[in-house]
Amino acid sequence: MQVFKAMTRVMRKRLLSAMIYIIVFLVISVFIANVSNKDNKFELTKLRICVFDEDDTPESRALTEFIGKSNDLVELENDRDTMIDALYYMQVNYVLTINKGYAEKIAAGDTADLFGSYHIDESYSVVYMGQFLDEYTTSVKAYLAMGRTMDEAVAATEESLSQETQVDMLRVDKAGNSHFSVDFSMYFQYMPYVLVSAVMIVICQVLVTMSRKDIRFRTNCSCLRDSEYTFQLFFGSGLFVLGVWLLLMIVGAVINEEMYSGRAWLAVFNSLIFSVVVAAIAVFVSSFEPKDNVLNLITQILGLGMSFLCGVFIPTSMLSGSVLSAARFMPAYWYIKANNMIADIQPYSFEGVMKCYGVQLLFVAALVLLTLLVRRVKYSGAAIGTSVKKAAVS
Amino acid sequence: MSNTVVKIKDLVKRYGDLIALDHFSLEIEQGEIFGLLGPNGSGKTTTINCLLSLLSFDKGDIEIFGKKMTPVSYDIKKEIGIIMQNVAVFEELTVYENIDYFCGLYITDKAKRRACVEEAIKFVGLEDFRRFYPKKLSGGLLRRLNIACGIAHKPKLIILDEPTVAVDPQSRNRILEGIQQLNRDGATVIYTSHYMEEVEQICTRIAIMDKGRKVAEGTKDELKRMIKNTETITIEILELPEKVYGEISSLPHVYDTSHSDGKLSVYCSGGKHNLTRVLDVLQKNELGFGRVYTELPTLNDVFLEITGTALRDKED
Repeated sequence: MQVFKAMTRVMRKRLLSAMIYIIVFLVISVFIANVSNKDNKFELTKLRICVFDEDDTPESRALTEFIGKSNDLVELENDRDTMIDALYYMQVNYVLTINKGYAEKIAAGDTADLFGSYHIDESYSVVYMGQFLDEYTTSVKAYLAMGRTMDEAVAATEESLSQETQVDMLRVDKAGNSHFSVDFSMYFQYMPYVLVSAVMIVICQVLVTMSRKDIRFRTNCSCLRDSEYTFQLFFGSGLFVLGVWLLLMIVGAVINEEMYSGRAWLAVFNSLIFSVVVAAIAVFVSSFEPKDNVLNLITQILGLGMSFLCGVFIPTSMLSGSVLSAARFMPAYWYIKANNMIADIQPYSFEGVMKCYGVQLLFVAALVLLTLLVRRVKYSGAAIGTSVKKAAVS
Repeated sequence: MSNTVVKIKDLVKRYGDLIALDHFSLEIEQGEIFGLLGPNGSGKTTTINCLLSLLSFDKGDIEIFGKKMTPVSYDIKKEIGIIMQNVAVFEELTVYENIDYFCGLYITDKAKRRACVEEAIKFVGLEDFRRFYPKKLSGGLLRRLNIACGIAHKPKLIILDEPTVAVDPQSRNRILEGIQQLNRDGATVIYTSHYMEEVEQICTRIAIMDKGRKVAEGTKDELKRMIKNTETITIEILELPEKVYGEISSLPHVYDTSHSDGKLSVYCSGGKHNLTRVLDVLQKNELGFGRVYTELPTLNDVFLEITGTALRDKED
């Protein structure tokens, strides 16, 4: 395995540039995951509420205390302008006044005009507090009607309203089957760019080094069989690509804990196929033996070009029809299409996802054939002959 | 049992209308340092490429160690070491790793390979540089590394394709001594160059190539015997009367003379005491002269006489 060993040594020298892409990607993924967690995960929120208790009875104080348990109580000057300013500058979300006679009215079963309030119209805090006060008074009224004393009714109401419901956010398909957490598709969305950049920057440079004319000449003169040489090159390249892919999958699982469930496995498989596509692109590009600066340029053009045209950076829904038509000739388009279907961004169908896999594999086959063709032309006797002839003429 | 290591018979290689090798034949015996001498474009590298099956050819046969050479003759390739004009090493590997890599293409046994690599490092004198990367090595050291990569697996046939191009004289001498040492250790060497002095210095047998053809072959003495010139006498003399010039030209064994820039050149073919006779003529005519020196024929003279042009002229 001399060739493989030399490859890994050459790779070591190039790993840093690949790691930069991977680390930047992972940092962005962690950031997105955190933002996404806030957007898509249920969390009890507290409102900042100012309560003016004009009734000042044990019942009204009990209500104030109960409101304070699940919200932040804010003290304000009992002045209209002050309250409006506080609402405007979002120092408070809601200003509640417990009207005088609250205890008497609720004991009599009258729930009209118990409260007054200052709030911003159509805000969620209005809805929340409206529902809360309605539930509270209705519940107390119901317990009193059952023959409980006021203290018992208030205690029972507080107990029942204190119960929290466990909420899990899941994405479900049309049939109502949940398949994976909502963070998942975002992680896979940006993967093509990092795969193209990291894999190409390493594999191309390594293969170009291994195929350098003089080294290739010396290797061809040795007793190492061509097939074994090619196998070791493919093995080394494949192992690197698999390593990068595995790293991304493992880190993905750490960032998004519930990543691997249900339909998510289709996205995992999709990314594996795309990794093979990228490896094939890298092998194809390296067969032209580009210089380092040219290779960097090609990597950026391919990485950014596919990312912008195929919906990696910009959602496909925002891309024009003509751009999408052109993008169909790029493998990243089919990766994103499959990813979108799996994430229900586009209508999901198993056959559709399989078709996207198939098209990506066709790209692999085409690239392998083109690579063989290029290498055949480059390394055939005729090609060597041409260079010899040039030397002879010069 | 035949000792022929390389046998090339009637090799023809064409590039369209250009004939790179024109019915080229050659036999190299075991233990020889065989020199392929010729100007750039004479077909030396094409011959080597065909020999190594890196290049297909139109006609002819090539046998190495008595077996037909093909691209898949791995048993033959195992016994061949190649050292090219360009340094073929990995910039990313150290001196040791580079030699280990190329040696590993032939020897899979780790312990055996380690011993071979160490021996090669010692042979080329890179003991203090084993952890160095090639870009840290000087041109001469790089050439030595190049040689170590080609010989570490102890090949029986070593092919050196102009290994001293653009090498300083000190490193060149070291390389040439190394080649002779490899030969003493039992390797047969094929050495291609357009530097006549090198070929003359180390090669036991030489073939001169021109325009894809072998124009002469033999030991350096045999080659020199093929030409008329055996001695060139040069005398610094400012004025030379026509009569004296004619007298010298008519001396026995003198086949050509010239007088220009205060130098009289007398070309002799065979015979003894040619210098004494020329000096006698000058003294008899009471002509004063400066430095006197004689030169034996060089391979350049051989090449000049056989092809009609000087080897160095053709390089340009």
